[in-house]
Amino acid sequence: MSDYKNYTKQEMQAYAIAKNIKENQIVIVGTGLPLIGASLAKRVVCPSCHPIVESGLMDCAPVEVPRSVGDNRFMAHCAVQWPNIRFIGFEANEWLHDVDRLIAFIGGAQIDPFGNVNSTCIGNYHNPKTRFTGSGGANGIATYCNTVIMMQHQKRRFMDHIDYVTSCGWMDGPGGREKAGLPGNRGPQMVVTDLGIMKFDDKTKRMYLAYYYPFSTPEMVQENTGFEVDVSRAQLMEGPNEEIIRVIREEIDPGQAFIKLPKTK
Amino acid sequence: MGKVCTLSEAVSKYVKSGDTICFGGFTTNRKPYAAVYEILRQGQKDFTVWAGPAGGDWDMMIGEGRVKAYINCYTANSGYTNVSRRFRAAIEAGRLTYEDYSQDVLMLQLHAASLGLPFLPVRLMGGSGLTEFWGISKEERAKLDTVDNDKFVMVDNPFNPGEKVVAVPVPRLDCAVIHVQKASPDGTCIIEGDEFHDVDIAVAAKRTIVTCEELVSDEYIRRDPTLTRIFGQCVDAVVHAPHGAWPAQCYGYYDVDGDAMKEYDKASKYQDAEDAKKQLAKAAEKAAKAAAKAPEDDKAAEKAAKAAAAAKAAEDGSAVPETFRDYMDKWIYSVKTHEELLDKVGASRLIATKNVPGLGYAGKIQ
Repeated sequence: MSDYKNYTKQEMQAYAIAKNIKENQIVIVGTGLPLIGASLAKRVVCPSCHPIVESGLMDCAPVEVPRSVGDNRFMAHCAVQWPNIRFIGFEANEWLHDVDRLIAFIGGAQIDPFGNVNSTCIGNYHNPKTRFTGSGGANGIATYCNTVIMMQHQKRRFMDHIDYVTSCGWMDGPGGREKAGLPGNRGPQMVVTDLGIMKFDDKTKRMYLAYYYPFSTPEMVQENTGFEVDVSRAQLMEGPNEEIIRVIREEIDPGQAFIKLPKTK
Repeated sequence: MGKVCTLSEAVSKYVKSGDTICFGGFTTNRKPYAAVYEILRQGQKDFTVWAGPAGGDWDMMIGEGRVKAYINCYTANSGYTNVSRRFRAAIEAGRLTYEDYSQDVLMLQLHAASLGLPFLPVRLMGGSGLTEFWGISKEERAKLDTVDNDKFVMVDNPFNPGEKVVAVPVPRLDCAVIHVQKASPDGTCIIEGDEFHDVDIAVAAKRTIVTCEELVSDEYIRRDPTLTRIFGQCVDAVVHAPHGAWPAQCYGYYDVDGDAMKEYDKASKYQDAEDAKKQLAKAAEKAAKAAAKAPEDDKAAEKAAKAAAAAKAAEDGSAVPETFRDYMDKWIYSVKTHEELLDKVGASRLIATKNVPGLGYAGKIQ
């Protein structure tokens, strides 16, 4: 008998993603955990959502987990195969039409208290210690869409000042996006990590801890955050039930492409 | 007429050193690898590159020192290599002249080129590092005749005074190289699945090389003109190159060759044997330090011993890991043509990548 009670941190994260997708939302996913979370939403938690990817593939329903946003696994199982430029136009027009249906998942190497994200480089941009891929679709997504940011919760990643702003969050606080010429009514909604879910305060736009998991505590979150984080509002988020874990392991990612099974002792 | 030719003829005639160039495809999908390899074999260099969503194609060109200026938005064999390694190493070592745009802006720039626009205003990149930093400074730009004088200019929207928008330059492409599913002798192309930026660059470039899975007659390709995507008059050379995207995917035909992607991922960690020795020695030193710091940690000691053994084996030549140089020799320089490459990969391996009808990829039907 398979044991579906011993869920992993990553499975909890995927579940947290799925739980935060709402009815009829258009969900911009990448590969990895956000895709697992969106697949879980589509199959179990919120079947009315519409996963799309930045390569221009709309309403994706992959059978096997894709490895990239341009993968045939997306392309063969979607409603429309648009070129990337149509995706960009769609994203911008959703904002121009003042409809709020998009939610996007992006990731990064560093994040600051206002949800600005770095996925370009560690150190000086011109002479970096570590270079990453750069923006990809993330900058445009963070410009026009509400985002959920996926991060590993580590002190060296959650820092007061990040080395490069690839994707704009709330900039330096209230009014920051407007000052930078960005849509002020869009921005990061939450940060989902392996320790909890941070949200952004309505007034200050600073990150606070909204939920911790059954295996984490508010103290652990503060210890692993490189800046002061308000944990006074934190609540416990219950873990996934066995059926959720079964769907992840048996149906969505049976090859363990992105979610590894817990180690058996 | 007379567009059908060999890969060698197409590349020698239409790809020139110093070109401003763009390849089609998306990271690991429909990348024109056969033509990329031929360029590598022939030796053209000093490219000014408008890289769309790039992967191993441009990573190899960078590793081989063929790039003069790399204008980019994303470089990774996603799912296999999260950040392309020769690209990354070249930037970290200060060896690459590069500029960053967001993918949105770069793809819109290529589209603007296909539309013949003079410049492009966007509401993107504002407030971010993409407008704060210039990868290629104004001074350097002034010295590079193939690179525009400015990365971008903030301008007032003439139709909405007071609104600041980001104006970006439009690429002037000398050469585009794309791989398609079907083409006919007059240059007409059918692209199945997502076209990516391929149609845009085929229209925008002065010279366009098309490699194709299937070379079909001019009559056959226009049996259903809803399927054709590129006007033949935009195309200069048509090359029949089955499996020409290997090891990338080609929609409707084949999947990625995962083994080759993994091999490249590992090999491209090291430029060559010298680099492997250096990096392994450094890793051994680091592991030894970590072990010395934690004398009770058995795992750290084990790791240090393993790293030391790997470094020693590389140094004395008994076990040097496969490097970028080895991979390039093995799959590119040791063969003379695309056909020789296909023989080297082997029929059964290529057949294993064939898409399963209904799935659209090389999955298992159970």
